[in-house]
Amino acid sequence: MAMNFWKSSHAQQWMFDKTEIWKQRAEDMKTYSEDEYNRLNIFWANFITAVATECAHSQANVGCKLRQQVIATAIVYFKRFYLRQSFRDMCPFLVASTALFLACKVEEHTTLSVSSFLKNTALVLPKRWGVTFETTSAKNGVLYDSEFILVEILDCCLVVYHPQRPMVELLDDFRLYTNSSASPTSPLKDFESIEAQCQKVINDTLRCDVGLIYAPHIIAISSILVAMDLMGRGEELEGWMVEVDVDMEKVADCTDQIYKMYTLWRSFDEKEEVKKLMAKLPKPNQQQMTQQQQHHHHHQQQSSSGYHM
Amino acid sequence: MLNYDKMEKIGEGTYGTVFKARNKSSGEIVALKRVRLDDDDEGVPSSALREICILRELKHRNVVRLYDVVHSENKLTLVFEFCDQDLKKFFDSLNGYMDAQTARSLMLQLLRGLSFCHTHHVLHRDLKPQNLLINTNGTLKLADFGLARAFGVPVRCFSAEVVTLWYRPPDVLFGAKLYNTSIDMWSAGCIFAEISNAGRPLFPGADVDDQLKRIFKQLGSPTEDSWPSITQLPDYKPYPIYHPTLTWSQIVPNLNTRGRDLLQKLLVCNPTGRIDADAALRHAYFADTSDV
Repeated sequence: MAMNFWKSSHAQQWMFDKTEIWKQRAEDMKTYSEDEYNRLNIFWANFITAVATECAHSQANVGCKLRQQVIATAIVYFKRFYLRQSFRDMCPFLVASTALFLACKVEEHTTLSVSSFLKNTALVLPKRWGVTFETTSAKNGVLYDSEFILVEILDCCLVVYHPQRPMVELLDDFRLYTNSSASPTSPLKDFESIEAQCQKVINDTLRCDVGLIYAPHIIAISSILVAMDLMGRGEELEGWMVEVDVDMEKVADCTDQIYKMYTLWRSFDEKEEVKKLMAKLPKPNQQQMTQQQQHHHHHQQQSSSGYHM
Repeated sequence: MLNYDKMEKIGEGTYGTVFKARNKSSGEIVALKRVRLDDDDEGVPSSALREICILRELKHRNVVRLYDVVHSENKLTLVFEFCDQDLKKFFDSLNGYMDAQTARSLMLQLLRGLSFCHTHHVLHRDLKPQNLLINTNGTLKLADFGLARAFGVPVRCFSAEVVTLWYRPPDVLFGAKLYNTSIDMWSAGCIFAEISNAGRPLFPGADVDDQLKRIFKQLGSPTEDSWPSITQLPDYKPYPIYHPTLTWSQIVPNLNTRGRDLLQKLLVCNPTGRIDADAALRHAYFADTSDV
């Protein structure tokens, strides 16, 4: 929406350095090691994507395939939510369904109800990860609340900037550069497969924390680097990269994190490990939720005792 | 958990009642808008969500500020900056006289707010005096973004049921569904005339047909020449060729020549010919400070 990313709520409130991120997850780090949490990062993104894609399969919702941008927004909401709250505060499956519901509305996409997303949850969890899930735990009243809680915890920052748009511009620039006489490399061949590979990498970046650390254009350029490298065509970037005006230190670090995520993902046996990770998931505690919410928000209103409206 | 003392009801918004309230710890006066839940499955109405999304990103002197959103007891309450009155109430306090300086200042602020929204790819779509708030310092603020829309790509069909009739441009009255910032510029033109006449609405139509007649009687009926492809609009029907009977100086007697020129650039039937907010701000009307 807004043209100036740096003035957006995304830039001003939702970009952190790595240590800040882990500090905010302190409560959940009592349950999980950093390595386990990184695996969970991969799982949650896969899971939210699966719940969203399940829409297309279920008979009642034929043709309702959620756009990738909606899925990406939902994953960002989910990750931001668990910076401010712990798994104990609110059931992550409910948060995931609500995040998809909210993302659909914000991205002006036709949406299913939260309960439909929860039904999909009950379908995909046993099928793909051997984890059972009871939808009955989430009643309608809780669902209303869940949307409110998300809006509040996300501090109404619902407009998310994704790296897709800068990536399209960067790739265009890259292609034009290699076509120009200044380029030491020859014009790009098979540009479509480059685009496809970049798109894939950029979607995969949702499986690590780079979206909470770097601006979209840094993630975009890092994804291009990784994608070209994965295709064995890294050297074709050399001339262009020199021309691009970007903080190379950040790009190097972002690229490094994407590679680390891929390494972890390859060693991550989801079928086996997710069950164990889910068994450790703390049981939601509604009361603590209310307290934490009060504590976290409305710093200027901490002394308040009741709701007088 | 909510630290506000509710005072009187101040209005009814697109999706909920608005109350004046005082923050108990800071004493600050705010406006509280409580979100109604209509449909069981829909949750927060999309108009409320749109307003939340948009106002969270738009921070400008001439756009009302959303301070906070508070969730409690299964309700969602938006906490807004409070303004003493809206433009309509302001008109009522004028006793039929608006001085030229105030009129220009209000118009300047309206256009600044609009220019800001438009550069951030947001259409207001429902501009009217009731949605323009004025605080004690005379600062004007655009409010009620419940129908607002981010107009990013791709442009999709918008519902034709937007914008209060009196401030609705002819293209929308003819059922145009793909529109852009020009919708707000027409409304700004109608409001400009209304401001200069201390609150007398320019085109107070009773229905769509009457609305179009009033517009064409003043501006002349558009033709395929002045507005190519007009006949292709979904609800287009031909109107007689009207010839304006009143001159602009009769319609807006308090506006100087430059003001009348700006007004005519805003009130162009063909949306592609309407001036945009940035160009309007550069108009000579705002350059001269000594009023005629």
